[in-house]
Amino acid sequence: MALIGAVTSLQNPLLAQLKAPTRTDSPTGPVKLPGIALPGTDSNAIPSGGFGKVFENMISSVSTKEADAQAITRDVLLGKNDQVHQSMIAMQEAGMAFQLMVEVRNKVVESYQELMRMPV
Amino acid sequence: MNIISGIDITAGALNAQKTRLDIVAQNIANAQTTRGPNGMPYQRKTVSFETELIKQEGGATVGSRALQGVRVGAINEDKTKGERIYDPQHPDAAADGYVEMPNVNMAYEMVDLMTASRAYEANLSVVKNARQMALKALEIGK
Repeated sequence: MALIGAVTSLQNPLLAQLKAPTRTDSPTGPVKLPGIALPGTDSNAIPSGGFGKVFENMISSVSTKEADAQAITRDVLLGKNDQVHQSMIAMQEAGMAFQLMVEVRNKVVESYQELMRMPV
Repeated sequence: MNIISGIDITAGALNAQKTRLDIVAQNIANAQTTRGPNGMPYQRKTVSFETELIKQEGGATVGSRALQGVRVGAINEDKTKGERIYDPQHPDAAADGYVEMPNVNMAYEMVDLMTASRAYEANLSVVKNARQMALKALEIGK
C-alpha cells in the first residue's frame, strides 16, 4: 500500500490520459534502466552491489544517450546527415534523461539527510 | 526506449515532411527545364506517404496495437502534358517551332510548400508538448 493513500487513485486517470493501460509512464513500455528492478518484478531481478551499482548503471545509460546525441549532431554539422530535427530531438532526449537522473540523486540525498537528522 | 513518449513517430513525420519540401524545391527549380536526362521536359514529382508500424524493443504499443508512424511511400511523376509555347529559336524547339515546357504549376507548388511547412510546424509542436509533459512528470517529486 502506498504511503500517500490518494496517490493510486490519482495515478489511474493520469495514466489513462497517457493512453498507456499498463503501469508505466510511456507508451513505449516500462522505463527499463539496466540494473533497476521495476516494482512488481520478482526479487531475483534486484541487482547485487547496492545502490551504488544501480546509480552507476543509470549514469552509464544517460551517458550513452548523450554520446548518441553528440554523434548525430556531429554528423549533421559535418554534412553527413541533413536531419537537423533528429539531432535536436536526440539532444532533448539526452537532456531529459540527465534531468531524470538528477531528480533521482536529489531524492536519494534528501532521504539520506532525513536519516541523518533522526535523533538517536 | 525513449523518455519523451511518441518521439519516434514525430521524428518520422518530420522526416517525411522534409522530403516533401525537398521535392517541392526540385519542382520549382526545374520549372523551366526543357531537357532532362532523358531528353524530355521535366515532369513534376509528387510525394505520397504511407503508414509505418514502429517496432521497438520492449514493444511500442498503445493497448495491443503497434504505434503507427509515417514514411515516404513513393515519389511519383505527374504524367500530364506541359504547356507548349511557340519559340522557334529555342534549342529544344521541335520542327514546328513549339517547345514543350515542364508541367510545373507554380501555384500548386506554393500551396504544397505551405502545407509541408505547416505540417512540419505542427509536428514540432507535438515534440514541444511531449517534452513539456515529461518535464511536468519530473516535477511530481518536488
